[in-house]
Amino acid sequence: MLEGIFIGLSTALTVGNLSFVLMGCLVGTFIGMLPGLGPMSAIALMIPIAASLDPSAGIILMAAVYYGAIFGGSTSSILINAPGVASTVATSFDGFPMAKQGKAGKALAIAAYSSFSGGVIAALFLLIAAPFLAGVSLAFQSTDYFALMVLGLVAVAAFAGKGDMAKGLLMTVVGLMLSTVGTDQTQGVPRFTLGMIDLIDGISFLLLVMATFALSEALMAILKPKDDAERLKEKEASENLGSMAIGKHEVKEMAPVIGRSSILGFLIGVLPGAGATIASFLAYGTEQRLAGPKKGAEFGKGSVRGLSAPETANNAAATGSFVPLLTLGIPGSGTTAIMLGALIGYGIQPGPRLYIDQPEVFWSVIVSMWIGNIVLLILNLPLIPYIARVLAIPSRFLLPLILFFSLIGVYFVSFNTFDIQLMVIFAVAAVVLRFLDFPMAPMILGFILGGMMEENLRRALLINNDSWSFLWERPLTLSILLIAAVCLVLPFATAQIKRLKDTVYGRTREGD
Amino acid sequence: MLFSKDRIGGVLLLLFCVTYGLLSQNIRLLPFQENVAFHARTMPEVLAVLGIGLSLIVILFSGAGARPELRGYQWLRCALFLALMSGYGLTIRPLGFILSTSLFLMIGFALLGERRPLTLVLVAVPLVVAFWVLMSQGLDVFIEPLPGFLKAEG
Repeated sequence: MLEGIFIGLSTALTVGNLSFVLMGCLVGTFIGMLPGLGPMSAIALMIPIAASLDPSAGIILMAAVYYGAIFGGSTSSILINAPGVASTVATSFDGFPMAKQGKAGKALAIAAYSSFSGGVIAALFLLIAAPFLAGVSLAFQSTDYFALMVLGLVAVAAFAGKGDMAKGLLMTVVGLMLSTVGTDQTQGVPRFTLGMIDLIDGISFLLLVMATFALSEALMAILKPKDDAERLKEKEASENLGSMAIGKHEVKEMAPVIGRSSILGFLIGVLPGAGATIASFLAYGTEQRLAGPKKGAEFGKGSVRGLSAPETANNAAATGSFVPLLTLGIPGSGTTAIMLGALIGYGIQPGPRLYIDQPEVFWSVIVSMWIGNIVLLILNLPLIPYIARVLAIPSRFLLPLILFFSLIGVYFVSFNTFDIQLMVIFAVAAVVLRFLDFPMAPMILGFILGGMMEENLRRALLINNDSWSFLWERPLTLSILLIAAVCLVLPFATAQIKRLKDTVYGRTREGD
Repeated sequence: MLFSKDRIGGVLLLLFCVTYGLLSQNIRLLPFQENVAFHARTMPEVLAVLGIGLSLIVILFSGAGARPELRGYQWLRCALFLALMSGYGLTIRPLGFILSTSLFLMIGFALLGERRPLTLVLVAVPLVVAFWVLMSQGLDVFIEPLPGFLKAEG
């Protein structure tokens, strides 16, 4: 492991890669701070630049953007109560009340220290867990990979469906469908190309991500512009931050919260689909319960614990979500799904072999997480008063620029104007589906995993002489599929139990 | 509610899935592939069935979902932006990067309420030129900056 750390350090600590960490953290914070644009859009916007770099530098840049965007999202949550992403919603519960009390600087500092600690501790866990899991997963076969992909898709659909799993699953299937457009990998047959030569190579992953995230988010902001009061609030918040110093008393209060939330966040992040949002809410709820009645009552009114817990947990979970990506090649979240797409673009197949075949990529990602967190703390925190000014940039300038960067990012990769027209079509579809509350993340995951899933299933059938019996004869495959089935059934079952409880409770009350 | 958000989305995706299923039958198979367990049409057929099934579940069991509220949204402005993006795709080659992008940004700023012509030019043009220099000189990504007729004259 020590050797690996040295490989990672020697790769990540070059002047070039350090400057990418620096740039990534700053750009990520900048984009993440814009309400509506989250880490997924931030990473998507960076892919065209990352594509021109070598794999290690590209992944380091994207990982830095990821952390920066989460940090930026927390900043807009605290300052204007407008979380850029779902994972920072819990941050606003106590962060915004603190800002309203004139302690915005302090709230930002608590968030930054908590994020830093959560990220660093989780990166340490990743360092231990990833090589171990990579070793274990070397025993995996095509059948197990197919089952793991089913599990990943089901889990993400279950959690991203905004309470409606069927919608999440349907969007996953739509993503899988889109992945079948183009020439069939094995038999060379064109599929769903509608006779268009531009679709022979399939739909570009970058195009789909840009259209469904960056473009559609900007278009949603154009559809429903902010009113003057909101704009004034943003301007004022970005100008009056107050002191950023935190006292001994607060450090004492934060320390145990950070320890607990880091472990909780990491473990939840490792699970496919769960991700930073659930981790942040769980950490918030856990700390509220542990705080006791007196301290617990402060939650929602500017509690230090209430701010520290979700911030630690969401960063720890973001790190944890790299475990399935790096060791199994299966993304645990929408963001890591985009990263997987970028890795595949480099010709790198994440999974157990990555640890052996390209240790410099594997270890430099882990080491860059530490460096990224340090950069966020020592550079972004002091710069926050200046970066926060981005909130004051008028949206009439910002939104066309986001549209331009999204379009040109895709065009610069393919130099095909057909891609711009295709982006417009996908953006229209994404806006309509977003307007109707259909989640986008499962679709992207389905799109990215679609090709691999089909390939693994085809290989599994070939190995098993065209027999589907591998689904129940191989214990590991069966176990993973059973877990997927539980993920599928659990939300329905809990909803039924809740309904039953409500009915019984209602009858009891009527009886009283 | 009959026209809830879930139901409308479900119907739209059902149409998509049915079209996908129909188009999957156009995938050509070689004679020897028809009897194998897995061929180029297998996955699309399975996905079409799954998609149709899930769309029906969303439509039939969506419960009392919220009705889409169309008021308060700038639909025309959004449509104009879509047309602008499409137009950008059509003009980037004939007009060159600098001219087409400057026009795209200036029209975009104007559509969102910026009315001062000087500001439109001063924000858009230097930014586009700087971006072109960064891409072509810094990252070696070359894109034709000017329209063909200007280049010919130069």
